[in-house]
Amino acid sequence: MQTRRQFISAVAAAAGAAGAASVLGCNSPLAALSPAPGAPGASASTGSVADAALELSIARANPQVEGLDMQRLATRLTESALLGLGGMQRFVSRGSVVWIKPNIGWNRAPELAANTNPDVVATLVRLCFEAGAAKVKVGDHTCHESRQTYVTSGIAAAAEKLGATVIHLDESRFREVKLGGERLQLWPLAPEIIEADLVINVPVVKHHSLTQTSLCMKNYMGVVGKRPAWHQDMETCLVDITRYMKPRLCVLDAVRLLTANGPTGGDVGDVRMAYTVAAGTDIVGLDAFGGSLLGHDPATMPILRRAVSNKLGQLDWKKLRQREDTVTL
Amino acid sequence: MTQAQLVPWRRAAQSASFVAFATLAVWVGRGAATSARNLLLAYFAVDPLVLIGTLVAAHVLVTVSLFALLTVVASVLFGRLFCGWLCPFGSLHTLALAWARRGRRRRLPDNASSVRRSKYFGLLVLLAAATLGVNLFGVFDPLSLLYRSLVGGLLPALGLAADASSGAVFDADPTLLDWHLTAWSEPVYGAVHEGLFAGRHYALAGGFVLLALVLVLLVVNVRWPRWWCRAVCPLGALLGLLARRPLLYLAQRDADCSGCGLCTIDCPGAAQPDKPGDWLARECFGCLNCVASCHKDALAFDWRSPRWIAAMRRARVTAAAASPASVAPATVASPVNLARRGVLASLAGGLVGAVAARTSPQARGLVFEPTLIRPPGARAEPEFLARCVRCGACIQACPTAALHPAWDEAGLEGVWTPVLVARVGYCEFNCTRCGEACPTGAIELLTREAKQRLHIGLAVIDTARCLPFAFERDCIVCEEHCPTPKKAIYFVPTDVRTRDGTTRILRQPRVDPDLCIGCGACETKCPYRDRAAIRVVSANEARNPANKPFLSGLGGLGG
Repeated sequence: MQTRRQFISAVAAAAGAAGAASVLGCNSPLAALSPAPGAPGASASTGSVADAALELSIARANPQVEGLDMQRLATRLTESALLGLGGMQRFVSRGSVVWIKPNIGWNRAPELAANTNPDVVATLVRLCFEAGAAKVKVGDHTCHESRQTYVTSGIAAAAEKLGATVIHLDESRFREVKLGGERLQLWPLAPEIIEADLVINVPVVKHHSLTQTSLCMKNYMGVVGKRPAWHQDMETCLVDITRYMKPRLCVLDAVRLLTANGPTGGDVGDVRMAYTVAAGTDIVGLDAFGGSLLGHDPATMPILRRAVSNKLGQLDWKKLRQREDTVTL
Repeated sequence: MTQAQLVPWRRAAQSASFVAFATLAVWVGRGAATSARNLLLAYFAVDPLVLIGTLVAAHVLVTVSLFALLTVVASVLFGRLFCGWLCPFGSLHTLALAWARRGRRRRLPDNASSVRRSKYFGLLVLLAAATLGVNLFGVFDPLSLLYRSLVGGLLPALGLAADASSGAVFDADPTLLDWHLTAWSEPVYGAVHEGLFAGRHYALAGGFVLLALVLVLLVVNVRWPRWWCRAVCPLGALLGLLARRPLLYLAQRDADCSGCGLCTIDCPGAAQPDKPGDWLARECFGCLNCVASCHKDALAFDWRSPRWIAAMRRARVTAAAASPASVAPATVASPVNLARRGVLASLAGGLVGAVAARTSPQARGLVFEPTLIRPPGARAEPEFLARCVRCGACIQACPTAALHPAWDEAGLEGVWTPVLVARVGYCEFNCTRCGEACPTGAIELLTREAKQRLHIGLAVIDTARCLPFAFERDCIVCEEHCPTPKKAIYFVPTDVRTRDGTTRILRQPRVDPDLCIGCGACETKCPYRDRAAIRVVSANEARNPANKPFLSGLGGLGG
């Protein structure tokens, strides 16, 4: 059941898509986008760039060149993934307040893939403003010491440069909220996050020693307080918070993958380059795609299976309406 | 400008010095540790007690402390101007005294000479103890004392007041029609919280004692004015010893003196400005109160010529020349008058006390205290105790509130030295701020890479508490937070028979002692909020080879 806001966004996106199609030209960066041939579920209209009804948009790159401009590549991948879903204006209405929720948990540099890529976050900030957001806030409830973590991750600086309001979360300011979940009835949440008009969940794809993977659903842990106890029943708690947050847009940062010793990492030898960013409206499908990047069969991921039985999304990501684009620099 | 008109300048200098000092207390906590360290170092660098203490007790010359020679020379030449114009603690005493007197001009009591002398004896006790390596100068040094009290006592108290008051407003969320009070209180709190406390919620062990102590010392001014400066301060004693015959002296024009005694009413050092020829240079702070209060202009500071110039002048002056109207307490230098018995008793007391402090089993190196976990870069314990001035700069600089002033972890000798209390805060992996802040090198500044490899302790699992061992539940929070790249905490998936007879596989944690650096992230984050199920102890600390239970290279992932 679409809210009025979603309906208006869809109409605006369709109009925007039509407008975008009309300005396509050789000099436009949009010319770099081309649908991958034979991509499953690709839009029938291969000539147009965007389709508002898609649920998953994957942007990949296969750079051959050494000494690659990673910042530019991460930026282009993010732009392509969002554009494939219909552009940010599908989700952000004029004058709204957006909270971008990356993974800024650990005092690690971007190369170690323990936090979200700062350029992915910065690009999302820019796209939100371009879509008419009045305020874009960026923040996470860190695990390591928050001030150093924000600096080392590179996210605070990158986001601030583009006009975002970077916020440190203080657990003493969390408010108890009725989650009405299976395990969690009343739980402290960060009020500024849940009061935002839109929360963009943008995690980095990584290994986790308890849950095997840390993806979009796990990323919601940054919204809550009293986290240590969650580890005793992570599946139910993540399902409860995901149900409460009602995700509309999630973006997977798979530019770098942390393949072992997550979630904290620390050894660059555990990092594998995947040069991928995926955006989607189905959190379970998106997480299934992320799990597959790490080599897991989604059917064996217990958190996702539990999410499916709670009707939070679709496990078989290949069945989602999607497109895949290759980005070249 | 007359000398009396310098009094407001003196007050301005005192205020500026205190404000600068207090600002440094805040700055060191804001992560500008390197630049703030340089400024804070300026205070400790010119402090001769730091130079003497580290030289005598640790046999090291902290190079930057050579600036203290400036203070020494200045005191020899000009007397105890530091006490009257620059000492930030002295500024507080001046303020407390002014408040205590509040316009009433009672005569400030002359201290009996025995009170004056007690600070010299105190200095001798400290010196004697330092010769045996027990450096307690930092406990009594006014700069250390004040800094420690600010960062350990006052700032946490202010932080608590800010947190509690804004938290109460936040929880109650009072509204007037549609307007929430939090719309005003939260931004104000946020600014104070960031600006003053660098986003930290202070919770320091022993903070109350530190604050109470300095408040008591200030309140004592009501009864005994500047009792600290006159009777206790070892820095005042040292500068007093140096001010035997300063070039700047108080010229008392006896002929103009009406004997009103107003000058001595305002004299904070009880230096006897009203007694011609008997002005005590060693007790004078150069504050100019006496000069300003004299209605007859009978008092002024003047320059004394060095002896050889005075001798030349006297030879040139004929017998008929008028004798100077002023009486300079010139020929006899101001005596200290310490009885030999007292000197010997002080020295002996210092030596005996130092020996007694080192008789405990821990101090003798037979056993070690598990809770004595020092910051990364701390030197071996005897040298650490000999260098540390207990200033608290490292405690303030630590971004995770891992360091706290010791109480009994390091014995009586180690009170207020920094220890890691991992239950409250852990040592952040990428951080070396304590080493950056330390003014004496008691904590060496390590490179980040060296710090990340340095063992300061060892995490030990309490299997009676740890959830996967004792309560049939998974947890892994300790491993999750362990910052070491190769993971000093690892899991052994273990078949556990549960209460209902089924078998579950639980991830039971283990610690690899070759990889664990003792940072304490595991203990801080363990879900238990009373005593953690994984705790850091001092065993295996790299700086103390005698505290290593392991043979390296056996077992675990270590090589």
